[in-house]
Amino acid sequence: MQNEQEFSKAEKFWMNFKLYQLWRFIVLNAKIYTIAVQSKFH
Amino acid sequence: MAKVLVIGAGFAGHTTALYLGNQLGRKHEITVMSNRDVFGYVPSWVWVGVGHMKPEQTIFKLKPVYDRMHIKFVHAAAKEIHPDAGDQFVVGEEIGTGKEIRWSYDYLVIAPGPLLNFSGTPGLGPENGFTHSICSLPHAIKTRDAYMALCERMKKGEKVKIVIGTGHPGATCQGAAFEYVVNVHKDLLKKGLRDKADILWLSNEPELGDFGVNGVQIKRNGIVQKSSEFIKSVFNDHGIRYQVQTGVTKVEEGKIHWQNYEGEEGVTEFDFSMLIPQFKGQPFKYIGKNGEDVSAKLVNPAGFVLVDGKYGLPYPELAQTPEAWPAQYNNPTYPNVFAAGIAFAPPGPISKPFTNKNNLLIAPAPPRTGMVSGVIGRVVAMNIVDLIKTGKMTHQERMTEMVAACIASMGDNLWDGNAVTIVMRPVVPDRKKYTNEFGRDLFISHLEMGLSGAWMKFMLHYTFIWKFKGLFGWKLIPE
Ligand SMILES: Cc1cc2nc3c(=O)[nH]c(=O)nc-3n(C[C@H](O)[C@H](O)[C@H](O)COP(=O)(O)OP(=O)(O)OC[C@H]3O[C@@H](n4cnc5c(N)ncnc54)[C@H](O)[C@@H]3O)c2cc1C
Repeated sequence: MQNEQEFSKAEKFWMNFKLYQLWRFIVLNAKIYTIAVQSKFH
Repeated sequence: MAKVLVIGAGFAGHTTALYLGNQLGRKHEITVMSNRDVFGYVPSWVWVGVGHMKPEQTIFKLKPVYDRMHIKFVHAAAKEIHPDAGDQFVVGEEIGTGKEIRWSYDYLVIAPGPLLNFSGTPGLGPENGFTHSICSLPHAIKTRDAYMALCERMKKGEKVKIVIGTGHPGATCQGAAFEYVVNVHKDLLKKGLRDKADILWLSNEPELGDFGVNGVQIKRNGIVQKSSEFIKSVFNDHGIRYQVQTGVTKVEEGKIHWQNYEGEEGVTEFDFSMLIPQFKGQPFKYIGKNGEDVSAKLVNPAGFVLVDGKYGLPYPELAQTPEAWPAQYNNPTYPNVFAAGIAFAPPGPISKPFTNKNNLLIAPAPPRTGMVSGVIGRVVAMNIVDLIKTGKMTHQERMTEMVAACIASMGDNLWDGNAVTIVMRPVVPDRKKYTNEFGRDLFISHLEMGLSGAWMKFMLHYTFIWKFKGLFGWKLIPE
């Protein structure tokens, strides 16, 4: 964020840059699955 | 043979039923009593409400799933609960015939979700009021139709006012309303109508991005920020105006009356509005063995089921007492009665409550999201399995320990859609374990926005419907 209340051009670029978003998709899925599955052992 | 009865087949009750059927279904009697014969995947009703998903894509019939899982299905609305030892049973009204059904149990799981209390705000709601809702499938369909009619007006050049948010000072579920407002924005943009609409976010949150969970944390360039700044950026970017710290008190045709933290009273005009109502517990009758009312032992004044939480702590003390949040979700007086999902009584709010000078309490109620409801449903099921097999419960998970992942869709297109992905651990801050100012695990807690979230949201729709159908590998998919 440039001044906290606006998204910068760079931020907007990364939000829709397909290759980077594919990477984020993999990372987020792995992260959420790993932590959510721990709950099964409670 | 033990008899287990589950009331409600939503995120909580259906999850409980699947685990019970899987573990006990062949040897014991597992029954689900639900007033609807379909499972509804509620998160996708946001898309139904903007006409981006067909209603039938969000539901499936329960009976075939239960037949496979050795679960009996009773299509009835529960009305009375008789919890006293000796003769414990539930009375329901069969849907279609109106016949009274009496079902006895050894273990009872109360999971009927919320009563949508539109009457808590005069003039609110799609049935007897002037606003819309996406909290049930018929409501979401009605909302879609009204929204489409509004778009037709805009196409003719009319400028309109849209107000989306919460319709009661104590409402919850801000996340769903947030998703709806950004989906409406995106849809209008695609239709080339965005310049015809003035959109306002009106909510009872103490600050933007609070979502009833005291905000979420974002780590950016090594600095931890609160979600308020981030959501402000989203709204500024989308040209959505916002007004928080506001409790809606009354609605008239085209007019929303409200009060804010300062005690100011105001009126906001609208052409189309979707406001989330107050949630209450379902109005069951709780009857003792001599016909007396035993509801005080089972539910709080709002109708939510009292479980093993510590109730009555003032907010500052509750915020420092993670163990006040329930762990096993059974009632202290009737330990064989459990509550799961929205039905259980939380010990208090997560976000800081505020009473204005007119004595109006403006306080978002704690959200019990789909993930939270599913986790509680599983904990309850596994404890009932324990009780039947060994007589001792071994499972527990408090909301001060639970992880939640929420994806707020901001346009469902897989090419240029967007979504905010929020991960929180724990859902309710545990200020004893995590000594930072947020009371959360800052390594795990995270918020980000991008196209990947839109892909995740789409994937979750199909993955969860697969899971809830009890298809191959369903248990491997976390709640
Ligand atoms: C529009 C919207 C979007 C949302 N999006 C998300 C999201 O993206 N992620 C997330 O985690 N959460 C989301 N939520 C929240 C989530 O849907 C709820 O947390 C969840 O549905 C609660 O589960 P539940 O089982 O307690 O209640 P419900 O899902 O409401 O299920 C209750 C069930 O009980 C049945 N019932 C009601 N009364 C009776 C009766 N008298 N007798 C028998 N049966 C009865 C109902 O028909 C229903 O089947 C969203 C909510 C809404 C409204």
